[in-house]
Amino acid sequence: MSNEFILEVKNLKKYFQVGRQGWFSHTETIVHAVDDVDLTLKPGEVIALVGESGCGKSTLSLTLMGLEEATEGYIFFNGVDITHATNEERKAFRQKIQMIFQDPYESLNPTQTIEEIVTEPLVVHGLARDPHERKDRVRRALEDSGLKPAESYLHRFPHQLSGGQRQRVVIAGALVLEPQLLLADEPVSMLDVSIRAEIINLLADLRRTRGISVIFITHDLGTVGYFADRIAVMYLGRIVETGSMREVLKNPRHPYTQALLSVIPVPNPRMRKKRIILQGETPNPINIPSGCRFHPRCPVALDVCKHSDPPLIKVSLTQEAACLLVVK
Amino acid sequence: MPGDPARQGIRDPRLTKETIEAIRVRFGLDKPVFNCIDSLNPVRIGSCTVNPLDTQFFIYVKNLFKGDLGVSYYYNRPVSDVLGERLWNTILLIGVGQILAIVIGVILGVLAAWKARSAIDYGALLTSLLAWSLPVFWLGIILVFWGSNHGFPIGGKATPGISSYPFFTQVGDLVWHLLLPTFTYTVIFMGEYTLLMRSSLLDVLAEDYILTAKAKGLSTFQILKDHALKNGMLPIVTLIAINLGYTVAGVIQIESVFSWPGLGGALFEAVSRRDFPILQGGFLLIAVSVIIANFIADLTYSYLDPRVQTE
Amino acid sequence: MGPQTAELKVSVASTSPFSDFWQTFSRNRMAVAGLVMLATIITLAVFASVLAPYDPKSSVGITSSDIYNPPSSAHWLGTDDAGRDILSSFLFGARVSLIVGFFAAFISVIIGGTIGVVAGFYGGRTENLLMRFTDLMLVIPDLPLIVVIVALTKPSLINIIIIIGVFGWTTTARIVRSQTLAVKSRKFVLRARAIGAGNVHIIMKHILPLVMPLLVVNAILVISLAILNESTLSFLGLGDPTATSWGQMLNFAFVRGAMSAGAWWALVMPGVGIAWVVFGLTLFGQGLEQVLNPRLESHHLSPGRPSVQSDAVVESATVKKKSKKRKDAPLLLDVRNLSVNYISHDNVVAKAVHNVSLQLHEGELVGLVGESGCGKTTLMLALMRLLPATGQIANGHINFRGKDITTLNEDELQKLRWSGISIIFQGAMNALNPVRTVGDQIKEAIIRHMPAYAPGILEDRVIELLDLVGISKDYKDQYPHQYSGGMRQRAMIAMALSCDPDVIIADEPTTALDVMIQAQILELLDDLRKKLGLAIIFVTHDLGVVAEMCDSVLVMYGGVTAEYADVDTIYNAARHPYTQELLKSFPDLSQPEKRLISIPGYPPKLDELPEGCRFAPRCPLAFERCTKEMPILHELEDGYHIASCHLVEGG
Repeated sequence: MSNEFILEVKNLKKYFQVGRQGWFSHTETIVHAVDDVDLTLKPGEVIALVGESGCGKSTLSLTLMGLEEATEGYIFFNGVDITHATNEERKAFRQKIQMIFQDPYESLNPTQTIEEIVTEPLVVHGLARDPHERKDRVRRALEDSGLKPAESYLHRFPHQLSGGQRQRVVIAGALVLEPQLLLADEPVSMLDVSIRAEIINLLADLRRTRGISVIFITHDLGTVGYFADRIAVMYLGRIVETGSMREVLKNPRHPYTQALLSVIPVPNPRMRKKRIILQGETPNPINIPSGCRFHPRCPVALDVCKHSDPPLIKVSLTQEAACLLVVK
Repeated sequence: MPGDPARQGIRDPRLTKETIEAIRVRFGLDKPVFNCIDSLNPVRIGSCTVNPLDTQFFIYVKNLFKGDLGVSYYYNRPVSDVLGERLWNTILLIGVGQILAIVIGVILGVLAAWKARSAIDYGALLTSLLAWSLPVFWLGIILVFWGSNHGFPIGGKATPGISSYPFFTQVGDLVWHLLLPTFTYTVIFMGEYTLLMRSSLLDVLAEDYILTAKAKGLSTFQILKDHALKNGMLPIVTLIAINLGYTVAGVIQIESVFSWPGLGGALFEAVSRRDFPILQGGFLLIAVSVIIANFIADLTYSYLDPRVQTE
Repeated sequence: MGPQTAELKVSVASTSPFSDFWQTFSRNRMAVAGLVMLATIITLAVFASVLAPYDPKSSVGITSSDIYNPPSSAHWLGTDDAGRDILSSFLFGARVSLIVGFFAAFISVIIGGTIGVVAGFYGGRTENLLMRFTDLMLVIPDLPLIVVIVALTKPSLINIIIIIGVFGWTTTARIVRSQTLAVKSRKFVLRARAIGAGNVHIIMKHILPLVMPLLVVNAILVISLAILNESTLSFLGLGDPTATSWGQMLNFAFVRGAMSAGAWWALVMPGVGIAWVVFGLTLFGQGLEQVLNPRLESHHLSPGRPSVQSDAVVESATVKKKSKKRKDAPLLLDVRNLSVNYISHDNVVAKAVHNVSLQLHEGELVGLVGESGCGKTTLMLALMRLLPATGQIANGHINFRGKDITTLNEDELQKLRWSGISIIFQGAMNALNPVRTVGDQIKEAIIRHMPAYAPGILEDRVIELLDLVGISKDYKDQYPHQYSGGMRQRAMIAMALSCDPDVIIADEPTTALDVMIQAQILELLDDLRKKLGLAIIFVTHDLGVVAEMCDSVLVMYGGVTAEYADVDTIYNAARHPYTQELLKSFPDLSQPEKRLISIPGYPPKLDELPEGCRFAPRCPLAFERCTKEMPILHELEDGYHIASCHLVEGG
């Protein structure tokens, strides 16, 4: 609980109970969506949380926001334990942690004007009660998100804006509360390729000018190669590798990371590299494999991997990988 | 109880006080309905000295299990007899009417959806909306009126004295009496089925798998038959079950107007005569049929939709 | 997003959802007709005391000879069983029927709406309880219950309103609940929670505004049911005898011998009144629903439009193949100068595809690259003549197997589809029929095009196809929902191969899949291509996939060809500014530090295309001529490379 970190997550678990209520039986299955995750984040730092569907990254972000209740473990924000916060406490820290969602077409209420959307957070938290001050803050938030002149956007409705503009409105809605941490859950995957950089560069600028920390959740590593400081790779609810972006991209140590990086297509026909294509699909988080959870699909698994569940092992100053093979 | 039949003096003004009392004992009306609610002095809370099993309610339930629904006040015959014969008449009426309504409704609905935005579509749409908007009893009245001037019977199920005629003549007579009531029933209900089938199919025909089927080179007819229909029918199945409520309402009206000797008519008469055994028996029958119908609908739905089965 | 969303959405200058609504509403004939019908009857009811020639309550001046008189100049609608003027009774009766209907419906909607929102929003046990109760009430036939209750209580107007109201809430509750559930799961509600909003705020600001439209439509239905219920009760003699509603009028007529007297006027008119109001409400409600919940103008079985040849002869551009392998391979598909328009119902034309040409040789994999709105999906659908009803081939030829697809009739097309060219759609979730087994759907294609197969051999063939794509035969008789996303795509591939087509179109087949599954599918496609000698058109926006898989690339922007060359040229020697900018905006893991650029602005709206080059508004190299004159397709390197840009003129 040092003050060095803005966010500190220890042994976080989030399980879901999916019960089947029959007339005469009641079977319960547990989905291990997040299964023992550690994470730290410094102020102004950007970490990319990478993984495929079912790895638990979205659940993790919802749990960090308090939109889901943690099953076990701890979340510390600015040194304060917010894991099982009360509703009031939650409301308080929601001013400081904000979320940006994937779907710009669905994140905005179609019956609200842009002004209403960006003002809503202020209304909810009872901030800037003076209507002039309120409008000012809204304008500033819109302009900081690149929507200039703000005046021309205020009275418009979401369906009149493009995907990129809508995403900027979502960001403005987050900025108006002057948060310290942004959880961006796949903020650009539904946007056209040629405008993705717009949003990412905006986030990069906000980090630079306001010192906002960002957790950037994505399945597409390429988009954050230059923007993120660190990267954490998730598989089946666990972080299997973490480290500085540069190091992990250059020298991935976990077999899953290696496979993942090898199959991401590179826009260069002369670089048709060797791809490690894993067989099958990610197993259901209801039945986590024994031992190392990756062993059934791992191309270099050993016998011992079936029985031993490795923790994150340090491989360099900043890099860690949860694989027995790195211990050599 | 309000409307105590004994007090209503069941139709015969010559009943003496003693006879009235005897009727009350005979029908168990001297016992309290439930605990402590005495027929003569309702709600005497606080001084319950009555044996709970000696109440009208429990006696009734006990008899139910014996298959005894009680005895009608009005007819002085077992309820099960009275309702039994009436039930089949109603089933005849509903059965034919419902089947026709479903068949016509589905066909019209499919046509309308297939030729969306064409004259056929608008025609079917307007016709079914209009049919749905008509009050059942009013359509009945108009048909009875028109029918009586065009050789149809004014009401009832059979011409008096028909039983002395050969079998086929009796059947013909039945059909002749059944025609207008069934027509009324069919017109009203087919509207709803058409509307539902049309909107359901419009949704289905916009789905991706229809485009895939088209891309496979299947003909329009084949696509409708093998891909669209099964998916489109699902909401209809649910509707048929829900419709039972409206069916009963419609049946009461039709049977009143056409004097058709069915369950609905019996219920209605029982209300004005305060014939409670009939009412209770009738309600029970309706409730049981509705439950059974819903159960069948659920089964059919899960048979048609594999997504439900394999959950 | 399936292909049908390629359908045009015409942009209308609007200021708010409400003026949008009014515009659409006034164009909906049913809604307007219904409204007019209602307005007429309401006006008549409101002004009844002014309009009615007689006072229906008074018996002044009525003699026994006035009973059941047919319509005359003194009594436009005739007289009833007590000699009273029917027209007057009708007008005043309107008031009763409308008032009862409206107020009873009001009660129903309030009860049902509250139950629906509470059940839907709070969920859990509350919802369970409320919904079981609602289902029970829904299934129980109301009329007998109402009849009994009304019979036991005093039949006053107030009582009737309350009773009808209390029994009429079930449909409202169900509809409101399911709509609440739907809205509750939408992302903007999650966002509101993330901001810190409480339940009440979310219900008031987010749930209710979106539930309201459906609630209004439902309320109209409830009003019509209430009016029908009241008239039925009155007819059965359970109405308030002092308030003569239309149903009451019919009750009197029926019970007091109108039929034997032949007095049809007493039986017809009140019923017409009821039917008029209910029909008007129904039309209004139906029209309103169409406005609030619009369906697409057409569906997949709506008749298409015939192709036309409209443009003057435009020079076509073909690309010679650089690699020797492809150069000698036979030409399978030759698309020349294809243009496709979308025509909306008010005849606004959107030029979705303009003058696109493309050649596909045996064994070749062509990548069709572009972003949203570039026309690539439209182009693909046009190739198989699967355009939606609003689409039309406006120019050009599609030469395949010696025929021009643009001229074929429906029968010929059906034979050609799948056996000549087949297609794999994007989101396989819905591309397969959920109530039929996968094996069945594959079989269907084979039976259609190769009817000579014996049933036993058919099964084997299906198993063989599934095996080819890596699906075990145990899955043959399973349903699509039992397959994972990756498996469904494989099944689609198996189905696409089933009739040995020459060409396969893959429309963004891996866009919705995880990157590892994508790699599996791409590997599969590549293997199949090599094994079976397929020619594939691969539609995508992913420049990485294109670089990995494709032999040649066609880059589209705003419906036109921006650039067309073999893959190496595109990536290393692109000449069109759009291609260049697009490459700069695409992430490259081999150079992770490269800061990505974005192209400012957004793609053009197809019904508001700029004059001149379609990319000019966003092009960093645009100059005067670009905004006035659309560039032609210039050939470079002796025809191995085509780019449509003024800067490229002269090679």
